[in-house]
Amino acid sequence: MKRMLAIVLVLASVVASGCGVGGQESILDQDELVIGVRSDLPSVGFRKGDGTFEGFDVDVARYLAGKLGKDVSFLGVLAADREKVLTDGRADLVVATFTIDQDRKRRVLFAGPYHISYQDILIRPEERIANVRDLEGRRICEVAGSNAAQRVVAERGVKAQVVPFPDYNRCLAALKSKQVDAVTTNDIILAGLAARDGSGLRLANALFNEQRTGVGLARGDVPGCEAVNRAITQMYQDGTAQKLLRKWFGESWLRRAIVAVPQFEGCS
Amino acid sequence: MTMVRPAPAAPVPVSPVPARRSVPGRIRIISGVTVASLALLFAALAIGTSSAREGLRVIGRDAGPQVVATAGLYLALSDMDAQVANVLVMGDAYAEQRQAALDRYDRQRAEANRTLLQAFELSGDNAAERNTVQSVLDGLGRYERLAGRALLLNEQSRHAPGPPPEEVVRTYREATDLMRMVLLPQAYNLTLESGTIVRATYDSQAVVAPLVRVAVVLAGLVALGCLLWLQLFLARRFRRVFGPALLVATVTTAAALLFGTNALAQDEDDLRTAKSAGFDSVLTLARARAISNSMQGDQSRYLLDKERADTYEHTYLDRSLAVMYTEAGNLSAYHTAVAGHSTGYLGLLGPELVGRQGEEVAGAYRKFQAADKAFRDLVGSGRTNDAVAERLGPVMTAFDAYDRALTQLAGTHQKVFERSIRSGEGALDNLWRLLPFAIGAIGVLMVAGVWPRLREYR
Repeated sequence: MKRMLAIVLVLASVVASGCGVGGQESILDQDELVIGVRSDLPSVGFRKGDGTFEGFDVDVARYLAGKLGKDVSFLGVLAADREKVLTDGRADLVVATFTIDQDRKRRVLFAGPYHISYQDILIRPEERIANVRDLEGRRICEVAGSNAAQRVVAERGVKAQVVPFPDYNRCLAALKSKQVDAVTTNDIILAGLAARDGSGLRLANALFNEQRTGVGLARGDVPGCEAVNRAITQMYQDGTAQKLLRKWFGESWLRRAIVAVPQFEGCS
Repeated sequence: MTMVRPAPAAPVPVSPVPARRSVPGRIRIISGVTVASLALLFAALAIGTSSAREGLRVIGRDAGPQVVATAGLYLALSDMDAQVANVLVMGDAYAEQRQAALDRYDRQRAEANRTLLQAFELSGDNAAERNTVQSVLDGLGRYERLAGRALLLNEQSRHAPGPPPEEVVRTYREATDLMRMVLLPQAYNLTLESGTIVRATYDSQAVVAPLVRVAVVLAGLVALGCLLWLQLFLARRFRRVFGPALLVATVTTAAALLFGTNALAQDEDDLRTAKSAGFDSVLTLARARAISNSMQGDQSRYLLDKERADTYEHTYLDRSLAVMYTEAGNLSAYHTAVAGHSTGYLGLLGPELVGRQGEEVAGAYRKFQAADKAFRDLVGSGRTNDAVAERLGPVMTAFDAYDRALTQLAGTHQKVFERSIRSGEGALDNLWRLLPFAIGAIGVLMVAGVWPRLREYR
């Protein structure tokens, strides 16, 4: 009889582990995670000369993988690849300034946000732009794959002139040569770009659109998403989030009174 | 019957050959196997019921109430901040409404305290949840200080209805940032965490329950087979057609098996209903209510802080899209889209808006958005006084109606939830009460059936 009980128990555990939880593939079942991070954004997600990655997102990704107890390897992605690497399975997670919106949520599951940022405006040192309304009639740079410039025009209804560029490097060059008057996107991206550029470009501190930067997962991996959320909660409770923000965006962050705690999007 | 053959073979190496051949030895072995299989049946039933009970407890008594408590906390906090914003835009007019808003602030403060205590209690040994509750408690003290200062400065400034002086706005900004960026997200995440606990419990229960049921059925069939085998053996050896005691024991075992599997199946059913028809909707509607409540706060903040008006308008749109999604690049496009929308909603509320009550919510939401449009048109055309009156009058009325409709819909699901949990617990209680009697009765009957036969060999 004991043998039979043992057999039943073994059978039960085989079925339980074989099905996984809910029968859906989850990042929790893997030993190693491939995490997509930006390769083109200094201080956020940047591929160094030796092929390794550094930046705020990279540190966050490392922390999350550590909390999930997984090894990690990074995959460099550009703005336009972020959904694709998830849907075709090349990356398990995407931590790459991935802004949560309702449209993207139809194709990607978002854990987090792990960071609340605002849209801000990067300008030349002598420029007077202080508010999104001041962009009326000015030329702003639009980087392929990013919706930031469109949000100024379509969402805020500010009639700015949008000039397209393939990446931020050329965007910044155009700003310095006065081909455009402003670059607008996430404040942390701009802070990183300005710090690396070092020629005195500054943030207008306009902080107009709240942007919730989330962790992208394959649709349906609810347990994975919930585990990432718990790791993010820990990241804010143990002070790592504050530490990393200060490490990568030092000055502009010290000026702010509080660090926003992310309100999770929910995994279902 | 053949399936039970391997089982009695087990004692072979230890039992001496003559005992095995002798009739009392055979009786003892068959009885032993029967008792063991009965023990297996009742063990499986006990494991099944206790795991089902644990599932019901977590979902019904722990996470369910935690959703209600933390959602209540969010609403109380969010409403405190909205009331402060309302008082600030009233200026030196609206004396009566100002007092009403301040009273409501106090009531919500008390409610926040109550729900915080409750949330702390329900968080049990979940360290992350306790830390979060603690952090909200700490922040709430700071918020009150800042809000109090903003209210005081506002009173001293004696401004006309509309945006208060810069100093008031600056102080309020500190307060509302703390509330919206730190306290509210924490309360919201607590609500979500309860959802996580329920999903995890439910999923593991969904894996375990069918296995337990199979184990119960198998053990039950083996036990019944053994009982029959014992009776056949006795009937052949002692030339009796049947022994009444063992026959009753067999019937009792069959009844226990039938009743047990039924109770477990009903329990699975109740848990499924409690989750998908009750809890999931309660949670979604609690989240929708929380987000909606912030939306009406954003309206007042949009009115009182000119510099951040764009930000507040954007968060209002963002939240609107989260609650009810339709493709719209900006708020005025959203207003138009919602006004002409009647079916096929997306977003948080989408799947909930079915049936008559769902239609009522959708209608109330449309009216609220229409009121918002009228309110923003007034702000846009510079009619600040009228805009304040609109915000405190029609917009608030429309919001309250919408919130009421949401609450009623949530109440319906809450009832389904509670009923299913009660029904599941009831089924388990009955089973739990009857099992000892069944075990006792079967034991006595077995002894009564076998003992006299063994005595014939003394």
